[in-house]
Amino acid sequence: MAARRLGSGCWQRMGLLSRRWCLQGGSAGTREQNRYSSSSTPQEKTVEASEVTREEIVLPRRKTWDKLAVLQALASTVNRDPTAAHYMFQDDPFLMPRNTANSRLLSLSKESGRSAAKYIIKEFPQYFDKTTAEPNIPCLMPESLTPQIEGVSEAALKERIELRRVKASVDLFDQLLQAGTPVSLETTNRLLDLLCFYGDGESAQEKQQEQKGAVEDPEENASEQRSPKRQLQKSLNSSDFRWRENNNAERIFKIMPERNAHSYCTMIRGMVKHGAPAKAYDMYTDLLNERHKADVHTFNALIAAVPYLKERFTERWELVKDFLNHMVQQEVQPNVLTFNAVLKTLRRCGGVGRSVSVSVIKEMDALDIEPSLATYDHLLYIFYRAVDLHPSAIINEVLEEVEKRSFTPQDPDDANFFATAMQACCDLKDIKLAYRLNKLMEKGDNWKFLDMDRLNAYWSKFFSLLCMMEQIDVVLKWYKEMTPSLFYPSPRNMFDLLQALDAANHLEVIPSVWEDIKQLGFNRKQDLLEELLSLMSREQHPEETQLAFAKCAEDIKAVHEQSGRDQALLEWTGSALGHVVVLFSRAGRTQDAWNMMEHFQQINRIPTDQVMDEFLNCAKQTNCPDEAIKLVKLAASLGLPSTLKLKSRTEQEFELSEKQKKVLERIQLDSDSSDSDSDSDSDHD
Amino acid sequence: MAAVSGPLLAGAGYWAVLSRCGGRAGAGVGVGPLFGAAAYSSVPAVSSSRGGKQREASTWRRNRTSQFIRSHAPPRTERMAVDQDWSSVYPTAAAFKPASVPLPIRMGYPVKRGVPPPKEGNLELIKIPNFLHLTPPAIKKHCAALKDFCTEWPSALDSDEKCEQHFPIEIETVDYVSAGTSIRNPKARVVTLRVKLSNLNLDDHAKKKLIKLVGERYCKDTDILTITTDRCPLRRQNYDYAIHLLTVLYHESWKTEMWESEKTEEDMEEYIWENSCSQKNALDTLIRIKASENVSNVTKEELLASEVVKNYRNSVVALKNEGETENNMSQYKDSVKKLLNIPALP
Repeated sequence: MAARRLGSGCWQRMGLLSRRWCLQGGSAGTREQNRYSSSSTPQEKTVEASEVTREEIVLPRRKTWDKLAVLQALASTVNRDPTAAHYMFQDDPFLMPRNTANSRLLSLSKESGRSAAKYIIKEFPQYFDKTTAEPNIPCLMPESLTPQIEGVSEAALKERIELRRVKASVDLFDQLLQAGTPVSLETTNRLLDLLCFYGDGESAQEKQQEQKGAVEDPEENASEQRSPKRQLQKSLNSSDFRWRENNNAERIFKIMPERNAHSYCTMIRGMVKHGAPAKAYDMYTDLLNERHKADVHTFNALIAAVPYLKERFTERWELVKDFLNHMVQQEVQPNVLTFNAVLKTLRRCGGVGRSVSVSVIKEMDALDIEPSLATYDHLLYIFYRAVDLHPSAIINEVLEEVEKRSFTPQDPDDANFFATAMQACCDLKDIKLAYRLNKLMEKGDNWKFLDMDRLNAYWSKFFSLLCMMEQIDVVLKWYKEMTPSLFYPSPRNMFDLLQALDAANHLEVIPSVWEDIKQLGFNRKQDLLEELLSLMSREQHPEETQLAFAKCAEDIKAVHEQSGRDQALLEWTGSALGHVVVLFSRAGRTQDAWNMMEHFQQINRIPTDQVMDEFLNCAKQTNCPDEAIKLVKLAASLGLPSTLKLKSRTEQEFELSEKQKKVLERIQLDSDSSDSDSDSDSDHD
Repeated sequence: MAAVSGPLLAGAGYWAVLSRCGGRAGAGVGVGPLFGAAAYSSVPAVSSSRGGKQREASTWRRNRTSQFIRSHAPPRTERMAVDQDWSSVYPTAAAFKPASVPLPIRMGYPVKRGVPPPKEGNLELIKIPNFLHLTPPAIKKHCAALKDFCTEWPSALDSDEKCEQHFPIEIETVDYVSAGTSIRNPKARVVTLRVKLSNLNLDDHAKKKLIKLVGERYCKDTDILTITTDRCPLRRQNYDYAIHLLTVLYHESWKTEMWESEKTEEDMEEYIWENSCSQKNALDTLIRIKASENVSNVTKEELLASEVVKNYRNSVVALKNEGETENNMSQYKDSVKKLLNIPALP
């Protein structure tokens, strides 16, 4: 029966029919999707026939499943495509992001476009009155955000609170007070909730309106004035609203005729959230004096605020213990967030934290509270972020615990776990642990804990560790798998990869790495270029490799000579120049090598002996005595001590014409005359 | 470079990623068979130079847009492994993406003495629907994934005959899936009911009456009655209506109304020779012939049982029921000759 997936309209009917037939003669049911036996006709023939086969036909029960189950099953057939970028980006080589900064920019702009569209829908709901979708999708339609209840009444206040109009509800509350209408305790508490949640600032939509108002303000038509003000406003909005002295929340709290525990708790939580921990603590003492009881969230907030209340580690821990004891006295049951707050505080307690945290975890066990990923995150931080790294077995135990369970997001800090754990693996230089962690991350829905930035951090650390510890084959395999579908390597990662190639003596693949570096847009990173060049020029390679290296060197040369549109010209360093000359020489490109040689004089650097030797070898191989003489000239003009050696080599190894010999002789004379002092000095020494 | 990457590719299959400069080097000899796109190595060069020109032309925008101007990147087909999982590259229906399809496709009107344009930037390829996401392996995967949602087929129903015997009524509905704002389709309400008349419990009169009642909905060749209902707005209602119609038709055809006795020969659905004029005349004639031949005591029954009369009857019935075809006519002629005992003309 369940084979009929699509025609859900007929289901009930079919169920009914088949049941009836079972009673009647058991003959009936459905044939695949479409066949029905006609129940309404007296069917003597079939009934007779069915009595024979009655036992045989067993109609299966209908299966029911989740709305998304089919989609999820189909999605499970698709794996990650290692050559593609994240699916949010356009799958086009020109539009795909090339590196982390790029992908961040693109994803942010995409998101901002989406929020711009949402803003338009919210701002002009009158243009979106047609429900074109069938069935209607409410989340795509504009919400009604204008208050429906006019006038000054408690109901109107309630509605404004419901709509999160911070300013409007405060105004209305004041009007109500002036009119002498008493506002019930419950409504006042809800107003306090609202104020404390938004920190007496504006809620998101009101903020937008405010900003718009500021931009359109006719007073500020001077553009120089406007931009700094807007920036200021932006920075103010982006950071949380700080708790101000005597803000609306405090004012309303003070004029409340009666306050219950909820009012106090809300105030405490608001103060902690908006950076007034000392005030929160005072409020807590007030609450105790009034003989109220705080709830568990308030305690969580207070425990999280402990590092801001006390300076010394032991004092902090004492205060945390005080709060926990109060919880016991007030019979408040702690939850997982309580313990996360304790551990978060212990992160900032140094050595005390390390000694106490294990017992905190044990306490959790005793209370049968399942730790969340944030718990483990704090634990790993406490044990592995210290200066002295002693490999303890904690991370093993943590991984074992995490392997056993599946997690749902409970704490905002949950998201940090995988990055922290990978950092710990990195610090411990334990590749097996890292593999284990990675397997864990890919298990189930755990990958959902990593957002774009954390994902990049996680993979980049993992990759560095791989480069450090693994066989080069494995590293390259991972590299192929991971970029660009999982992360974009940082310059540091490319550096690590180069070093891994060096260690494994696989330098012949450097040209392709260079291609990747170019693609990633790191071709102007000085240190990366230096490393690349020094690796390429260190040893003599087979000819093909040398030719490919020379091509890379040409690219690098082009990078140096290319005048960036808004970037500063990349300066040649002496060593880089030397490496490039060596690379050109080895590839037999004498002319290019000589051109590079001339750069030495321009940047006031001196080529090393090795560079000059290589160049001379190259000139000899390609039979270019002119270049050799030029080199000797250059060396002489720079006053290098190796001039003599070079000269004698040139004389011996090249077949020089008479004219060239004369030129060579003259060089000696020139250099003697100009640098006689230094030469004589060196001779004496 | 191609020569360098060649052995690497052969030695270790994973190296396709880093060796993409092999394709760019233009040689493409060692890499060609691996990357299907090797034939297009000239295209990137063209597009990059075009980008360069644009850059020069738009000097006035330089300062503002420079950070967004991007150099050419090689298509990702160059990095694809030979044994990659294609259903991950094209998981769903999507327009043709030249940089993601490693096939040397050409399409469009060829230039004079040329070939159709290549896939890069080819609108003709984007316009046509593609089934790149529905390759046979992908469909196999989907079927395997959807298997859990299916129930087992009843083992007793192993042949079509058995299905028909146990479930004579067939209901057909169509569901429409489309990309659009609405998931409803008015055509989905149509319900078609099919049943073989031989599966209904009908006698001759009832069957004939039913056929008369349903008119063109009955197909004589296949003996199938088809009822299509679409007058109600919902499928469920249409289904109920179709079942209702069938029920009513069935019961109605079993009834015999008073006026049905007035049915004359002209109203008959088919010609029946027995008790017809033709029979009477034929018998009359025969008896008279026999009388003239002085063969008495010939009864009607005997005559009816005789071969000649049966033959005549069959040809008359065929002529009346099937129409005047050449075959029927000649049969009729022969049977009449035999009946009247007219010897064939020489």
